Amino acid sequence: MGRSSPLALLAGLGVLGLLIAAPFGLPVFALTLLTELLILGLFAMSLDLMVGYARLVSFGHAAAYGLGAYSAGYILLNTSLPLPFAVFLAALLTGVVAVGVGWVCTLATGVSFSMLTLAFAQLLYAIAFKWVSVTGGSDGLAGIPKTPGPFGTTLFSSRFGFYYFTLACLVGAFLFCRMLVSSPFGAVLRGIRENEAKTLSLGYNTRLYKIAVVAVAYALGGLAGALFAPFRGFANTELLFWLLSGQVLIMVVVGGAGTLIGPILGAAFFLMLEHQLSIYTEAWALFFGLVFIAFVLFAPEGIWGLARAWGERVKLKGVLHG
Amino acid sequence: MSTLALLLNQSVNALSQAALLFFLGVGLTLIFGIMRIVNFAHGTIYMLGAFIGYTLVNVSGSFWVALIGAPLVVGALGWAFERGILRWLYRRDAHAFLMVTFGLALVAGEAVRLLWGPDALQVPPPPVLSGVVFLLDEPFPVYRLFLAVAGFVVAIAIWQLLERTRLGLLIRATSQNAEMVHALGIDVSLIRSGVFGIGCGLAALGGVLAAPLVTAAHGMAATAVIDAFVIVIIGGMGSFLGSLIGALLVAFVQVFGNYYLPDFALAFMYLVMLIVLVVRPGGLLGKEA
Amino acid sequence: MADVAAAAAPPPAAAAGGEDEPLLQLDGLTKAYGALVAVDNVSMRVADGEVRAVIGPNGAGKTTLFHLVTGVVKPTRGSVRFAGEDITGRPAHVICQKGISRTFQLTSLFPEMSARENAMLAAQARQPRRWHPFGGAEVFLSARERADAAIARLGLTDVAERPAGLLSHGDQRLLEVAMAMAQSPKVLILDEPTQGLSVEETAQTVDTLASFLADSRVTVLLVEHDMEVVFRLAHKITVLHRGGVIADGTPAEVKANARVQEAYLGGME
Repeated sequence: MGRSSPLALLAGLGVLGLLIAAPFGLPVFALTLLTELLILGLFAMSLDLMVGYARLVSFGHAAAYGLGAYSAGYILLNTSLPLPFAVFLAALLTGVVAVGVGWVCTLATGVSFSMLTLAFAQLLYAIAFKWVSVTGGSDGLAGIPKTPGPFGTTLFSSRFGFYYFTLACLVGAFLFCRMLVSSPFGAVLRGIRENEAKTLSLGYNTRLYKIAVVAVAYALGGLAGALFAPFRGFANTELLFWLLSGQVLIMVVVGGAGTLIGPILGAAFFLMLEHQLSIYTEAWALFFGLVFIAFVLFAPEGIWGLARAWGERVKLKGVLHG
Repeated sequence: MSTLALLLNQSVNALSQAALLFFLGVGLTLIFGIMRIVNFAHGTIYMLGAFIGYTLVNVSGSFWVALIGAPLVVGALGWAFERGILRWLYRRDAHAFLMVTFGLALVAGEAVRLLWGPDALQVPPPPVLSGVVFLLDEPFPVYRLFLAVAGFVVAIAIWQLLERTRLGLLIRATSQNAEMVHALGIDVSLIRSGVFGIGCGLAALGGVLAAPLVTAAHGMAATAVIDAFVIVIIGGMGSFLGSLIGALLVAFVQVFGNYYLPDFALAFMYLVMLIVLVVRPGGLLGKEA
Repeated sequence: MADVAAAAAPPPAAAAGGEDEPLLQLDGLTKAYGALVAVDNVSMRVADGEVRAVIGPNGAGKTTLFHLVTGVVKPTRGSVRFAGEDITGRPAHVICQKGISRTFQLTSLFPEMSARENAMLAAQARQPRRWHPFGGAEVFLSARERADAAIARLGLTDVAERPAGLLSHGDQRLLEVAMAMAQSPKVLILDEPTQGLSVEETAQTVDTLASFLADSRVTVLLVEHDMEVVFRLAHKITVLHRGGVIADGTPAEVKANARVQEAYLGGME
């Protein structure tokens, strides 16, 4: 992954500009949809850190989302902590728990690692049902408020304000991830991805790096969940269900693993299908699964990879004919 | 009830549970032993067995027809699927495989939901197996006893198949050295398809047998695939005996754990898996994953 | 390219002088897999700056011995001391950090990274801030310097930008050595560095290694099947047979040793 070309940078700034201007031009329901997209995009991007950059395939990333959502929900319902603080605290909690999760799951590698992540998510799912006093059991948490603050401001509680807060979280997380993967730490991750045994023999304690990336990925996934809770006002066991883990993994693969942007596109693709197709057919989820399989088989680089390849071809044609 | 009666009651209970888990695990481990891949859709196949069983019972009016028919149907589907689609994936890496079978699990899960509806479906056990039998003067469901016996019988049958028959020999040989078997002029791809079909059939058998107990429901698949995986991890990937031991271990821990500390039952299974992974990462008896 | 046969004697620079405590000391190192004894009571003293070749027929336990020293495998019995410190059974990455770098018999690289990036990752590993999640300009700069130096040393500068997976087999073996060198190790363990190389590539590698060893005081443990390479580079030779040491001494001594002759020429495994 080299440095961005000036064109890519310009395009990125352009998109950012559009996103900043969006609330002023869009009808209410569209803005809601866009906020949902940003949250889902953050969720998918967080998984990309694990899957795309360290090849740690998680089948249980819903655990991060659910943990973040429940934590934020609980904090917002039971304390008067302002929204932004509650959200960040929930993300932090998720990250801390994830250190333990990472420690356990990295006892194994490959498929066993993946199944352990799923097992952990199932465990959380079961706990969410049982621990009624904290999680509300099968009903979940409802009526989660967008607590005003700090200093009594309702900035983050308004529709516009919450949108910008979410956008800021996504952009911030993106920049953080970019920095991470371009750092020495990121170089080691790349080594682990391509040849873990060699990386170990070079003197890196690869397990620690893996645990660290799991913790960061879960923390960011938890951030997404923590944004979801006040956004929709509820948190329930669906957020911990393996179906969601599967869907976010599909977003990453279909969007393009290892690119950070790709998964966000994957999330957009997913939302679009969900909203458009579900009008026509009940079987849209089945269709989505088939699309996923097709991508794994025939276009493993995902949408973003396809776009890049197309861009390369166009450039090449320009060079040849120009 | 008296302690002895309690122990007996719960032990037979555990054996019946172990039977179900064994059907799940042995299929997964056989498939892994031959093909070195983990079939994520295994839990969904288990669920498919339950739902097809439901339909067969309703169509034919007989549980026994479902018991024989569902594994055959699902086993045939599995065989066809392997020959048609999976065999083109062997060149790809293990992750691609896992993801494709994962996608399959989703697609098949959705297909089941569309075909049979979102509700859980009741599958009544046959009249001869309903009711209770008395063990040490305590009532015990006949059906569970039947399960325990069925598990025992199938385990013996598979063991004999692997040890005494030519097919079993070929299966064992292929899992150790496929190239050699190929060099001997035997069509290894047929063995692979066959084992995949058998593995799916066994999972479906587990599903049909489980249906009267837990109803045919959509949550089955996720729990089942994890259960299967936990057993195989504990017993060791690719080891028949390991899947048997794993199933027994997990079932006993679950049943007795459930009795004494019901809220922590789920955690126990994961705890056992964790301990095994820490102490013997290859599983108790396994080849490397 | 020098003629390998012409330079038969090892460089006399041999640093085996005067140190009481050897840099690397193996005592009764044993590895048994059930009834199979892969490494049988091996003791060795390697002095600082010495080039020690470990030779023996296939299956003699040479690679397993290296695995025992570098922490890839835990010994059943015996000990390994490095610079006076007991490192027996420590994890592989810890031992590497102490200053022992190695190459593998089967080439193991990062195929999609360029040769330079491969060497940089190796060099980065020995820096205190190798794990930093931010910035890292300094770390990368320093790693690049060492990487480029090692790459130049091994004559790979022309292909430095090429993905490692696309290099020729010979260049890949050289890159492995470059990566180990980029870590500025005190002990360099080379497991069959010329395996699979053509005659020309072998000569080139040996020249490079010879000049590198002449300049620096790196201690080297070397497994090789090519005797000419051994006699060109090694100060001392240890001969393994069925896991045990059957001879230990200068090349001349070993050449004359009857048991060695029998093991190699008599009962070839």
